[in-house]
Amino acid sequence: MTDCDAVVVGSGPGGATAAEVLTAAGWSVVMLEKGRNHLVDEAPPHEPLRQFANDEVASTRRHLLGPDPLLEPRTYRRSPADGDRLLTGEVNNVPCTVGGGGVHADAKLPRFREEDFALRTARGPVEGADVADWPLGYDDLEPHYAAVERSFGVAGEDGANPFAAPRSGPYPMPPGDDMPMAVVTAAAATRAGLHPYRAPTGINSVPHDGREACADCGFCAGYGCPVHAKGDPLGALQRALRTGRCDLRPEAYVTEVVLAPGGRRATGVRYLDLTGYPDPPLREVAAARAVVLAAGAFETPRLLLRTGLGGDRVGRHLMYHFQTFVIGVFPDPTGGERGRSVTHLHDDLMIDTPDLRAAAKAAGLPWLRGGVVEHGAGPGPIDEAGTYPPGEGHTRSMADSALRRRLWAFTVQGEDLSQATNRIDLDPSVRDAWGFPAGRVTYAPHRHELAASHHAGPLHEAVMTDAGALVAFTATSPPQGDLDLHAAASPLGIAPASRHVMGTARMGADPATSVVSPEQRLWGVDNLAVCDSSVFVTSSGYNPTLTLAALARRAACLLAGSAA
Amino acid sequence: MNEPFAFTPEERAAVAAALDARVPGAAALGAVDYVERLLGALDHDPPHLWAAPGPWAGDGPRWLDLGPWERHAWRARLDDLQAVYRRVAAGRTEPGDNRVVHAHACEAAYGDPAYGGNRDGEGWRRIDFPEPLFPPARVP
Repeated sequence: MTDCDAVVVGSGPGGATAAEVLTAAGWSVVMLEKGRNHLVDEAPPHEPLRQFANDEVASTRRHLLGPDPLLEPRTYRRSPADGDRLLTGEVNNVPCTVGGGGVHADAKLPRFREEDFALRTARGPVEGADVADWPLGYDDLEPHYAAVERSFGVAGEDGANPFAAPRSGPYPMPPGDDMPMAVVTAAAATRAGLHPYRAPTGINSVPHDGREACADCGFCAGYGCPVHAKGDPLGALQRALRTGRCDLRPEAYVTEVVLAPGGRRATGVRYLDLTGYPDPPLREVAAARAVVLAAGAFETPRLLLRTGLGGDRVGRHLMYHFQTFVIGVFPDPTGGERGRSVTHLHDDLMIDTPDLRAAAKAAGLPWLRGGVVEHGAGPGPIDEAGTYPPGEGHTRSMADSALRRRLWAFTVQGEDLSQATNRIDLDPSVRDAWGFPAGRVTYAPHRHELAASHHAGPLHEAVMTDAGALVAFTATSPPQGDLDLHAAASPLGIAPASRHVMGTARMGADPATSVVSPEQRLWGVDNLAVCDSSVFVTSSGYNPTLTLAALARRAACLLAGSAA
Repeated sequence: MNEPFAFTPEERAAVAAALDARVPGAAALGAVDYVERLLGALDHDPPHLWAAPGPWAGDGPRWLDLGPWERHAWRARLDDLQAVYRRVAAGRTEPGDNRVVHAHACEAAYGDPAYGGNRDGEGWRRIDFPEPLFPPARVP
């Protein structure tokens, strides 16, 4: 007796996309989400809920989108030399809520380029890193990129990015309005020989898919959208739910994957029903055909490790984006309070140029890749207030507002090379509220990331100055240098602040060096598919969401026998 | 429900001084009310922790509800915070207490007025922060 054809663990962009494909193919799906539901009515016709507001307190201070670190602490260390952990609490937490990371993101949705899938072939190995080709190429993924862009509703400008990979069709929507300061920094970037373009963004520029156009309210990155102009992954979730074949169950903490005797087939999962308190009942969902893990690159390996699946490679090759922030302080307000946080990007640091070759040579590396550079606004006023020293000067600093109202930033989402020693495992003693081992991050950047950052900083400080900044300076996350100093001074903390988490159930053609097959099935358990950024082989320097969703779509199509 | 948490007049004065020492003028913006409402958030049902978007979003309650485990976490967090403010009120702060007071002073001065601080949006006006529009609408 089974409950469904497939159980999907996680309701973010990967899980929602997989559910959309499977239900369209006639499969019944139970979707389990650990977090609560603030996004979509579970009853037909599954309209968006109206629970999000432009509220910095609830969203950035009071864990509205979860996870609450008191319930689910994570731990961090740079290497085993730090001991069991350096800190316990929040470590690059992606929202734990229906919709997952799509809810809080400002939905920059660029595609990867051809080279990203064949980095070892294109650029070669790097000592101390594990650079590898993906077992699939851009052409394999292109139809899925196009389908996911339609599902989420991506607004973009065809032909604007000279480095973009070829597309089979136009963006579903034209780009939204430019943020005025992005126009200024884009012009300066162009003068420096860079190639800025309007960011592909999963936010409605016009009414689309039954949802409103973005009002450019300014509360974008870090916030659920009050008017649901963000379609990532709301559109996919709604389509899955409206088939009548998707049973969404929030507050369901999956504790283990259930296997058939012999262990080569997954038959379902067990979960704690967190609507029960203080003793949440343990329930089981039996799936006739497949188990899909889409809990994200932190929680998916944690679940596999808890279940004892996947072997020693599970959790290894953890990658973030090594973030370099080039901050410009301008004489006049930059207007960052309105808009979609980021409206322009440039890809030049991802391209093999003479400048980057020279920088690589100087650093003793065979090559360097930075990452996509986001032209974006500063923080909200509460975050800003927290950065100034307390006391008499605080009010003056807030009125002067060098770090918000007069701030503009370039954020380099730097490519993070894969290293087997960077990993997520189970903390030996810290437990979550339900008694399960906390996930622990062990992470230190490769010197490639540091060299790429050192190249990007001065280059973009000069662009910022040319754009009119009075002062420009560079910072990174994770911070480099003396740990104690940064622990006290860095508003982003000592752990990587990036929410782009990848690589912890690596895809490959060889079971000896990977966790999942090219079809994203766990080696040895062929009906267990991983549909999130865990499967990434390299981190690229592009925001991962569109790629993880395209991969999820491809994996779900292969499961269901659907056409691409 | 319990009577909502409330400082004594003496405690209010001490907490106001501590908040003002971190962010001058915070108390006049309602920072003590902000802290008092936070510490007593679970004395209401639904808890007064997450303000609902407002009438434009429908006829729902003014506060979003929490799940049972979220209440569990907040109960522990608010117990700790009440202990912090008892120390603040008594003038016996421990390392780390000032960081908590500073964070709350910032939230109270520049957060949504629904939480008791930023009285009449005056904190936002002082820094020329445009008051969020509800429902969110395009600014001409």
